[in-house]
Amino acid sequence: MISPKLVEVGRHNNIELITNSEVKGVDGEPGNFTVTLQNNPRYINPKKCTGCGDCAKRCPASAVNIINKGYNDRRATYIEYAQAVPLAFAIDMDACIGCGLCENVCLAKAISYSDKVKATEVTVGSMILAPGTKAYDPSQLDYLGYGKYPNVVTADGFERILSAGGPYFGHVMRPLDRQEPKSIAWLQCVGSRDTNRCGNGYCSSVCCMYATKEAMIAKEHIHGDLDCAIFNMDMRTFGKDYEKYFLRARDKAGVRFVKARVHTVTENRETGDLNVRYATDSGEMKEETFSMVVLSVGLTIPDTAVELAKRLNIDLDRYNFSKSEPFAPVETSRKGIYTCGVFQGPKDIPGSVTEACAAACLAGSELSGSRGKDIEVVQIPKQIDVTGQDPRIGVFVCNCGINIGGIVNVPAVQKYAESLPYVVFTDSNLFTCSQDTQEKIKEKIIEHKLNRVIVASCSPKTHEAMFMETLEACGLNRYLFEMANIRNQNSWIHSKSPELATQKAKDLVRMAVGRAATLYPMQEKRIPVNHRAMVIGGGIAGMNAALNLGKQNFEVVLIEKEPELGGFARKLHHTIEGGDIQEYIRKLSAEVMANDKVEVLLDTEVTGFGGYKGNFKTDVAVGKGRETRNIEHGVIVVATGAVEYKPKEYGYGESDKIITQVELGDLLEGKGAKDLETVVMIQCVGSRNESMQECSRICCQNAVKNALVIKKQNPDTQVFILYRDIRTYGLMEDYYKEARGLGVIFMRFNSDDPPEVKVEGDHISVITTDHVLQQKVEILADLLTLSAGMRPSDTKKLSGIMKLNSNQEGYYMEAHVKLRPVDMPGEGIFLCGTAHGPKLITETISQAQAAASRAVTFLAKPEIKLSAITAKVDTQHCVKCLTCLRTCPFNVPAFNTETKVIAIDEAMCHGCGACAGACPRQTIQLGFYNDEQITCKIDALLAGGM
Amino acid sequence: MAEGAIKLGGKKKKSTIMDMVKEILPDGGNLNACLTCGACSSGCPATGLEGMDARKFLRMAALGMDEEIMKSNWPWMCTMCQRCIYVCPMKIDIPQLIFNIRSRRPRDQRPKGIVASCDMAMKGETLSAMGTSVEDFQFVVEDVLGEYQEAQPEFADMEAPIDKKGAEFFLNQNSREPVTEPDEMVPLWKILHTAGVSWTYGSKAWAAENYCLFIADTENWKKMLHQQADMVHELGCKTYLNTE
Ligand SMILES: Cc1cc2nc3c(=O)[nH]c(=O)nc-3n(C[C@H](O)[C@H](O)[C@H](O)COP(=O)(O)OP(=O)(O)OC[C@H]3O[C@@H](n4cnc5c(N)ncnc54)[C@H](O)[C@@H]3O)c2cc1C
Ligand code: SF4
Ligand code: SF4
Ligand code: SF4
Ligand code: SF4
Repeated sequence: MISPKLVEVGRHNNIELITNSEVKGVDGEPGNFTVTLQNNPRYINPKKCTGCGDCAKRCPASAVNIINKGYNDRRATYIEYAQAVPLAFAIDMDACIGCGLCENVCLAKAISYSDKVKATEVTVGSMILAPGTKAYDPSQLDYLGYGKYPNVVTADGFERILSAGGPYFGHVMRPLDRQEPKSIAWLQCVGSRDTNRCGNGYCSSVCCMYATKEAMIAKEHIHGDLDCAIFNMDMRTFGKDYEKYFLRARDKAGVRFVKARVHTVTENRETGDLNVRYATDSGEMKEETFSMVVLSVGLTIPDTAVELAKRLNIDLDRYNFSKSEPFAPVETSRKGIYTCGVFQGPKDIPGSVTEACAAACLAGSELSGSRGKDIEVVQIPKQIDVTGQDPRIGVFVCNCGINIGGIVNVPAVQKYAESLPYVVFTDSNLFTCSQDTQEKIKEKIIEHKLNRVIVASCSPKTHEAMFMETLEACGLNRYLFEMANIRNQNSWIHSKSPELATQKAKDLVRMAVGRAATLYPMQEKRIPVNHRAMVIGGGIAGMNAALNLGKQNFEVVLIEKEPELGGFARKLHHTIEGGDIQEYIRKLSAEVMANDKVEVLLDTEVTGFGGYKGNFKTDVAVGKGRETRNIEHGVIVVATGAVEYKPKEYGYGESDKIITQVELGDLLEGKGAKDLETVVMIQCVGSRNESMQECSRICCQNAVKNALVIKKQNPDTQVFILYRDIRTYGLMEDYYKEARGLGVIFMRFNSDDPPEVKVEGDHISVITTDHVLQQKVEILADLLTLSAGMRPSDTKKLSGIMKLNSNQEGYYMEAHVKLRPVDMPGEGIFLCGTAHGPKLITETISQAQAAASRAVTFLAKPEIKLSAITAKVDTQHCVKCLTCLRTCPFNVPAFNTETKVIAIDEAMCHGCGACAGACPRQTIQLGFYNDEQITCKIDALLAGGM
Repeated sequence: MAEGAIKLGGKKKKSTIMDMVKEILPDGGNLNACLTCGACSSGCPATGLEGMDARKFLRMAALGMDEEIMKSNWPWMCTMCQRCIYVCPMKIDIPQLIFNIRSRRPRDQRPKGIVASCDMAMKGETLSAMGTSVEDFQFVVEDVLGEYQEAQPEFADMEAPIDKKGAEFFLNQNSREPVTEPDEMVPLWKILHTAGVSWTYGSKAWAAENYCLFIADTENWKKMLHQQADMVHELGCKTYLNTE
């Protein structure tokens, strides 16, 4: 998953990667910082290194492989992991014995033993701190046996054990004897939620989910019975779609979730198995034996980040996370310096990626005045016209160091290529992807008037785009390019049969030549981008998105269906940290109204929709008079929000003494708690049940927040919170602890034994079972508060008009949970706030900033290029069976009722080819992959006489 | 109405046992902070006895079930080993809670055997729960020492002094050894002899066992400590070596 992002960053023209370096100091002010760097030596020049790995193959010195948690060794010349960017080796001087072998074998001449520490400076306008996290080291918890018993591992160590790139190549084995485990126990909250042994009072937010995932993967990897047990206090699977995953693990995969905290882990000396004793809920002692124990270690801030923060004058909180305000989540205490990821607070990947976009948004708006300066723009020469020319094919065969050349007879393949039809030039290179080879390819294209180019090397997935750019850079159309993968699909897998591998390489090259002859230039349509944004929904998300776009000088139309801005937050008073929500939305809406780039349309709804990315046309009905307006805009930000669930359970509506958590917030703000004797709260009302499987995320903290207000106003009020799992994730755990400290009683119930509620005169009787005493409890309350969950705003109408996909619960779907968390599947459409899924205001704000940031990457372009790889229908032969309509995952093919033909809009087509494959009449062709271009490859293969 | 259910809610009770114990302990012993995780019960040697365990006991206290708490014999089964607080993520001082609950029982309702041992200790000058007198102790020590000096020539000049003024260490001694297993005293003597340190027993206040502590009789416990301290000061010893 991380690989494409790494490659993108590595190749980006305007990202300069400075690795192995530390920030020593920052001077200046926002807009103009001077950053002092210390560049530590790598001893291998990353610009020259091709990543072939020959040095590591010869290096005689070994060192402990830290990334694999020491479960195996690596060489002194090393690369941390296979996908690393830059894909360049380095020398670990602590392990190097100075033998000089690597310098001898490196054909790229990249080794430089004399590298020294250097000090350099860079000037920047703003900064983003993302120093991340370090897993908690459990060695100090002597009772868990980590470091003493080999089969007790940390969760990050277990990740490596599961990984194909890990010490056991993805085969699940335990460290002691490399045996496949029969049973594995996970112990949760190690180094989290513990103020006694480690002082980390917060919840790390991610370990419940990763433990569940690890158990699922381990079960997949080990065929046969693997018993997985997760020992936990609360399962905190509060993220979007996480509860479904948890239920699948529990009910389908049979992962056991045990509510217990283990006291001590002991080892059976003979077998290396681990004994775990625990008290069940009923207080009965149980003893179980596991082959392995995984400690679900928490997230901590590394000392290096603490020192960095000190050097930069950034305030940290008591757990060393960067200090931030509830309404400014990604800002640090120093102006112009932003933060994201775990350094901001414990969080998972989607949250980190979202915050990263938010930080980029703020860092970018600071610099928006100078947008376009200091960047490198690629200049593309005029295209050479090749129409009417016979194919003139050039074939470049790659050695890839010894990756290909060490097995495949490259000169023989090159010679063979010469004999193929239309081939007028062949060459072979040590590294075809290196910068100097690109120059050489360009020269040869011009010198030999090549009009088709083939590179026989590695995977088009990683390299095709780059070679296509090389063609473009000397005027050749990028679609006149073809690749033969003679490495990943050949030399790597047939390394033991060089002759057959050479033969296969020839076959692959012949197929490529066959296809190359059929290629023709294709033009990418360029369309102008309308620089106006439309934001739908005027809650905290919509307002923040609109305001940030406005501040970056883009016109925005903000549409709100109610007569007022503010959304659901108008019903809320304070955040759990004490932030004044009403004051915040007052200020925010005033700022939105005052921004001359933002036009606010209240009382307005979307009535019609058309167009495509960069050029949408939306009809809206404005104001009381429902006056219709057509708005043209380049992007859409969807921020339609969510509301509180109206409970059907626990007697809601039968008595004014049964209210929701939001109503309690009003009551406390008004009358206060002075008259309250006993308050009972019931959690998960309308969440985590059959009709709404997901967790609403906001209600546990809401209960704790209101309980604290009650206890602070009136310490004599008794408060009971009946819950299933308390999900006060992240730093909110501190408030849960504070509530217990003030005497709030938390009682866990099972979903199959919910509390019974009876209205008895002016009291409410609540009967439940105390989970500790296992006895029935009857609480006589004068107020029952239901922690009603969240429901997406009624979005059926809007999604019908705009063709937006939502999940089972009705929340809109993002393009990719981790890689593109605020993009919607359709290009140019972005998503934020509770319309995406339940979240708190702080999280809503950073997501809105993220959506604005993503929208800017679109709006900042004068025009966009559409891919030429799109599907086209031959309407003459189409029988209108509508198979394509049913097949396309993006709903692009449409039947035009006037002209009575199928139309596929090239601006909307994603080029996946699903329709082309499904069309029974073969009347759909996908550019660059049309039928002839595929079948000719097969013909070429068969022509070799298989 | 749920039959036999624990009744909660209504007006807050004035002050519960837990409230009172919290007053005494630093940070209130964190008694309110329980996550009900069960780590304490998972490691406690007394879990399951009388159907009770540390987490349940704390829970009863938190729910204000003072009557049940005072009736329960479970507090007397706690060994004060501290295994619970050692791993408790909230550092909840269960042993202190238990101690303070023990001390709230009328003295005549505490476990008879232990009460009798405390009473016995308080009767004599030696503080021995077995009632060993100054003379008996002196006799046994001298007798055993003589035997070993004779039988094992390498320890011919070993000492077991009583009331030696100015000794570095004041050693206490559980009464069980001099009374029932006198030979068991010797290994420690040998170690001290080999190490060449200067030590002494006291003729008075030498008994190491402290049953008053176990029945939470703070008054007598305090008295015992004073007597021990006085003896150490009288002899001018620098260090009190507790062998219990
Ligand atoms: C019960 C409950 C309790 C909560 N408690 C807390 C809390 O204690 N602390 C906290 O931090 N957060 C809390 N939240 C979350 C907080 O409310 C949200 O994070 C935040 O308000 C979301 O802002 P938003 O802009 O995404 O959505 P909303 O506030 O819902 O705003 C969406 C806006 O879009 C408008 N809209 C909807 N559809 C259309 C349409 N088709 N056309 C035009 N306009 C449209 C709506 O009228 C609304 O104004 C709670 C949420 C709920 C439901
Ligand atoms: S409750 Fe929080 S700290 Fe504990 S394992 Fe789950 S996510 Fe981690
Ligand atoms: S109360 Fe809300 S946040 Fe807590 S577990 Fe239930 S649904 Fe999730
Ligand atoms: S270990 Fe501590 S927090 Fe856990 S149940 Fe026992 S007393 Fe409560
Ligand atoms: S101190 Fe008492 S309650 Fe705690 S573990 Fe030991 S015996 Fe159990």
